Amino acid sequence: MARYAMVVDLKRCVGCQACTVACDKEWDVPLGCARTHVQPTGIVGTFPKLTSGFRVAQCNQCDHPSCVAACPTGATHQSSDGIVRIDRGLCIGCGYCVEACPYDARYINPAINQADKCDFCAARLERGLQPACVATCTAHAKYFGDLEDSNSEVFRMVYESGARRLQTAQVSIGPNVYYMGRKQDVDLVLAKFPPRAPRMAASSEFWARLLKPLVLAAVGATFLGQAVAFFYQLASGEQDHENQEKT
Amino acid sequence: MVAPTITQAPRPLTAAEADALSQRQVKKHDVAIMLLHWFNAVVWMLELATGLALLSSSFRVMPWWYIRIVQGFFQSRANMLQFHIALGITWIVVFLVYGTFGFRTYLKKEVLQREISLDGDDIQWLKTRVLRMLRRSAEPLPPQGIYNAGQKLFASMVYAMVPVIMITGLIMTLHLVGTAAVGWAAAIHFAAVGAVVSGLMIHVYMGAVFPEEKPAFFSMITGNVDELYAYSHHFKWWKEVCRARSPILDGPETHPPHAPQKEETSVEGEKHQ
Repeated sequence: MARYAMVVDLKRCVGCQACTVACDKEWDVPLGCARTHVQPTGIVGTFPKLTSGFRVAQCNQCDHPSCVAACPTGATHQSSDGIVRIDRGLCIGCGYCVEACPYDARYINPAINQADKCDFCAARLERGLQPACVATCTAHAKYFGDLEDSNSEVFRMVYESGARRLQTAQVSIGPNVYYMGRKQDVDLVLAKFPPRAPRMAASSEFWARLLKPLVLAAVGATFLGQAVAFFYQLASGEQDHENQEKT
Repeated sequence: MVAPTITQAPRPLTAAEADALSQRQVKKHDVAIMLLHWFNAVVWMLELATGLALLSSSFRVMPWWYIRIVQGFFQSRANMLQFHIALGITWIVVFLVYGTFGFRTYLKKEVLQREISLDGDDIQWLKTRVLRMLRRSAEPLPPQGIYNAGQKLFASMVYAMVPVIMITGLIMTLHLVGTAAVGWAAAIHFAAVGAVVSGLMIHVYMGAVFPEEKPAFFSMITGNVDELYAYSHHFKWWKEVCRARSPILDGPETHPPHAPQKEETSVEGEKHQ
């Protein structure tokens, strides 16, 4: 079974946003939203030792996705190829997953009132095509492939050339978008755009931590009370109401 | 709404009186109420079964085997959600139609007068019931109307929660107000259903298993209860029925029950007042 990953080569990326445009076009992304976009770090350092880099903001199809754990209906799920997908028939647009994503890679699509995000162009993959952003990248800075395939470019980049994940000791959920380049360049991107701690929406937290235990306790207590009443009824025997009134 | 009404308890019956009363039937429910009750029961069963199977990850309350079985009926979780939504909307529409066209004939009387309003006897009934369950009192329960105070409390909770369930369901389905509202609606939907289910378990137990309430269960099928049950469990309502039947007579003292009438008396107390 495939395990898909993407690699961004920071030595090549020029921040042209061609990937952003290709993705918007491919998926008809509404204005103000983005499945992927390029974020510049800005120029850092002192002259003449200046440097800059880019982060490609998109869903990282994490190994342990916090968005899957946050979804109340199971609409967000991870398929066996590692891609985190959204079942359009199940998403209610509650936004819990948007809050949960440490990379802020999700948004509520106002056209469909559901969560939306990059899925490595799963529909294109099924047709044997590369993701739109990879196919369009003018500088050939993005690579896509199967980490289970030792002949793939991404395999070599990740396991032989040292491509790294953008994660910290605090937030380590196994993103499958890797960054390749000089150590200081990847460090700069990570320092400028560190993943935030996954968080729960207030309503989600209220539900999972307070309402759910309360409801389970109430239903459980009622069930227990009824069980006691039922066994008491069994032990004492039944009398229909007519006999009761006559005795 | 609590009115300070204290009614004298029914006197004990002789065997002949009890026999005579048990022979007679009195109408408790209209057909419209029975139909609505069973429609509601079926909808609740299906909505609860699918709703519980829809909850996932940290919100899941049922074991996976249960979820797989229910999901199996619908082929996919998405189909299950669509069914849940379609049935929920049908439920809302039926209640709206019923509430609009049946308000004066059924709901005003059934809900406001019979099912919700508590009087002094009801409050006393609740106190005595609890004390009797704790074996702290042997006092007889105060006489009750067509529904006892426990049933009224359950009904009040249901009437408070049902609009909440409907509105939160619509907010989620139609994505009304905004994303945060949908998130809160999902949580509140769950809590409101949980509150009703806690009471519903007692309601179903009392109706289907508890021997003393068997006539109440069957009254939701036939519409009638025997007068002995009405006399001993719902004395105030039984008196209303007697008054309506013969306005100048009142109570077993003046309306001796030892003349069995085989035919059904389709008199309903409040309707004829």
